[in-house]
Amino acid sequence: MDLTFSPQHQAFRSRVRDWLAAHVPAEPLPSMDTAEGFERHRAWERTLAADRWSAVSWPREYGGRGADLLEWLIFEEEYWASGAPGRVSQNGIFLLAPTLLAYGTDEQKRRHLPRMARGDDIWAQAWSEPEAGSDLAAIRATAVRDGDGWRLDGQKTWSSRAAFADRCFGLFRSDPDAERHRGLTYFMVPLEAPGVTVRPIAQLDGEAGFAEIFFDGVRVGDDAVLGEPGQGWRVAMATTGSERGLTLRSPGRFMATADRLLALARGSADAALRDRAAAAWCDADAYRLHTFRAAADLAEGIDPGAASSLTKVFWSELDLRMHELALELLGPDAPAAGPWLDGFLFALAGPIYAGTNEIQRNIIAERVLGMPR
Amino acid sequence: MRFQFTEEQKLFAGAVREALEKTCPPEAVRSGPRPGPGWAALADVGLFGAHVAEEYGGLGLTPVDTVLAYEETGWFAVPGPVVETGVVAPLVVPADRLADLAAGRLVVSARPAGDRFLPDADLADLVAAGGRVAPRGAVALTPHRSADPARPLFTDDLDAAGAPGLDHAAVATAAQLLGLGGRLLAEAVGYAGERRQFGTAVGAFQAVKHRLADVAVALEFAGPLVHRAAYSLAVGAPDAARDASAAKLAAGRAAHAAARAALQVHGAIGYTDELDLRLWLTRVFALRPAWGDDARHRARLAGALLDGVPRRLPEGP
Repeated sequence: MDLTFSPQHQAFRSRVRDWLAAHVPAEPLPSMDTAEGFERHRAWERTLAADRWSAVSWPREYGGRGADLLEWLIFEEEYWASGAPGRVSQNGIFLLAPTLLAYGTDEQKRRHLPRMARGDDIWAQAWSEPEAGSDLAAIRATAVRDGDGWRLDGQKTWSSRAAFADRCFGLFRSDPDAERHRGLTYFMVPLEAPGVTVRPIAQLDGEAGFAEIFFDGVRVGDDAVLGEPGQGWRVAMATTGSERGLTLRSPGRFMATADRLLALARGSADAALRDRAAAAWCDADAYRLHTFRAAADLAEGIDPGAASSLTKVFWSELDLRMHELALELLGPDAPAAGPWLDGFLFALAGPIYAGTNEIQRNIIAERVLGMPR
Repeated sequence: MRFQFTEEQKLFAGAVREALEKTCPPEAVRSGPRPGPGWAALADVGLFGAHVAEEYGGLGLTPVDTVLAYEETGWFAVPGPVVETGVVAPLVVPADRLADLAAGRLVVSARPAGDRFLPDADLADLVAAGGRVAPRGAVALTPHRSADPARPLFTDDLDAAGAPGLDHAAVATAAQLLGLGGRLLAEAVGYAGERRQFGTAVGAFQAVKHRLADVAVALEFAGPLVHRAAYSLAVGAPDAARDASAAKLAAGRAAHAAARAALQVHGAIGYTDELDLRLWLTRVFALRPAWGDDARHRARLAGALLDGVPRRLPEGP
C-alpha cells in the first residue's frame, strides 16, 4: 500500500492547477440550461479543448492526453476544487465516449470524438421513454430497415441537455420479435435531422434541463449504428460496470462540496450540525478512497461489475445529504442561498437518474449479495 | 500510488481465517473455554507477535499488515482480549515481557483513560490502564454485566494515565467490526434465501433486499476508511488520530446497521439465545463503545476538521 503520488503524477497535478488558475472564469457562468448559459458553457469546453483538458483520458489523436486513471482523478479533483464550471458535454464525454471508443468504427471515432472534445457537438442522452424508465428494456421506439439505412420512430424523454444539444444517442427496438433485451440497436442521431422534434421540459428550478425528443420517420444511415444491430443492450451496458461506473461521478466533485460544507460549519455554533458536517466530509473522503481502491483493482484487471451499483447509491445520497445539511446551516438564509440551493435541487435528481437507487439496490441484492430474484 | 494490499498481507489474513475456521466455530464462542482453541490458533499463526519488534522474537509488522487479519477475528467473534493483547500490549508492556508476548504466552487486558472497562481481565496475566501496567493479581477487579457474555467486563482500581495505543486499538477494533458486519450480512442473506413465507423465499421481497443492500453499501465504504487509517498509523501520518476516529465511527455505524438488519431479517428466531446470530450481534454491541465511544471519536474528528486543516490523504488540492 502506497498512498503517495509519483513525481510524474505530482507534476501533472501542478500543470492542471496552474492551467485552471489562469483560465477558470472569475464569475460563475449562467445556468447551462438556458440558451445563453449553454453557449457560454460550450465556449468553456472550447477553452478546455484548446489545451487538451476537455477529455484528458482519451487518446491524443482524438483531442485527449492519453491520461491514465490516476491522472484523470487528479484532474477531476483539481477541476472541482478550482470552482470551474459544470461540464455541459458530460453526457457525451463520460457516457457515450467510453462506448464509442470500445465499439465504434475508426470512421465513427474520427468523426465524432474530436468534435465532442471541442464542444462542436454537445450530446444528449436518449434512454428513457414514457413507458420505459426503471424498466429500460421496455423501450418501444423503433428502428426499421429502410433501403440502405434505418427509419426511426417513437419518443424519448427526460433527455438531459437535449433542449440545446446538437446530437443524441440512445436505444431503439430494431427486432420486435426478439427477446426484449436482444432486439435493441444503439443509434447516434443528429437532433437537426428532418423528423426530429425536441420539446424542452422545465425542471424543478424552472429551467429546461431536459426535454422530450420525438422521432417521426427519421432517416439515418448504417454509420449511425454503434456496435452491431440487435446488440444495443449489450453495447450500452458493457461499460457501465467498469470505467464508466468509476467515472460517472468523480470524488473530486464531492470533496469540493465537502470542503465548502466544512467552511460553512466553521461559522456555526450548533455542535450537532458541526458533527454532521465532519461526518459528511469523512463520507466524501471514504468515496475518494474507495475510488483509489477501484483504480488499483482496475489496474490489476479486476472489474467492479455490479459493485458499481454500491457506488451510485452512496454518492447520490451523500451529495443530497451534504446539500441538505448546508441548507440547515444557512437556516433562514437557505431559500435564497444561490449555489447551495442550486446544488440541492441538482442533488435531488441524483437518486433518480442513471438508474434509480431502487433499481441499484435490486442489483446489489441480486448480483452482489446473491439474493433470490 | 496503490491503495491495495499485498499478496503477503492477504495470505496472513487467509492463514488467520483458516485457523479460526477449524478452531472457532460458533459453539466454541458460545460455550467453549475462554480464551480457548481460537486463541491458541491465533498465537500459532503469530498474531500476538505481529507488532512486537523482531529483536524480541516478534514479526515487526505494521497495522497495514494485520488489519485484514483483525477483520477475520471479528468474523469469527474470537473470545479473549485479542486487540488488547495483539495491538495494545506491544506498546505498553515492559520490554522484559515482550518475548513472552511474541511467543503467545502472555494475555493482556487493557483500556485507555476515559474508558471504564477492562475486557476479559479475568484471563489476563497483565492489566494495563492507560500507561499503567500491573500483574492481574495486584489489581482489584470488579466484574460487571456485559452486553456480550463471551466478553466479560471489569473495573479496576488503577489510576489510568493517558491513552497509549488508543489509535491502534481503535483501528483494530474497527477492523473487527467490519468483519462482524460482514458475518452478520452473510448470515442474513443466507437465512433470507432459505426462510419461506407467502410461498417464496423472504429474500425475494424488495423490502428485505433493499435493507440488506444498504448494509452492503455501508460496509463497502467503511472498509477504505479502516484500511487508510491502518496506513496512516504505519507511516506516522500527521492525521493518523483523525483517520483512526473516522475509521472507528464508520465501521461502528456499519456494523450496527448490519446487526439491526440481520436481527430484523431473522425475525423472532434471531431474538433467541438458541440461534448463533446472537454471538455476533452482542459482540457488535460490546465493541462499539470500546477504545473510544462515538462521542469521543466525533469530538476528535470535529476538532481535526473544523478547528484544524482538513488535509487529504492521499494528498489532494
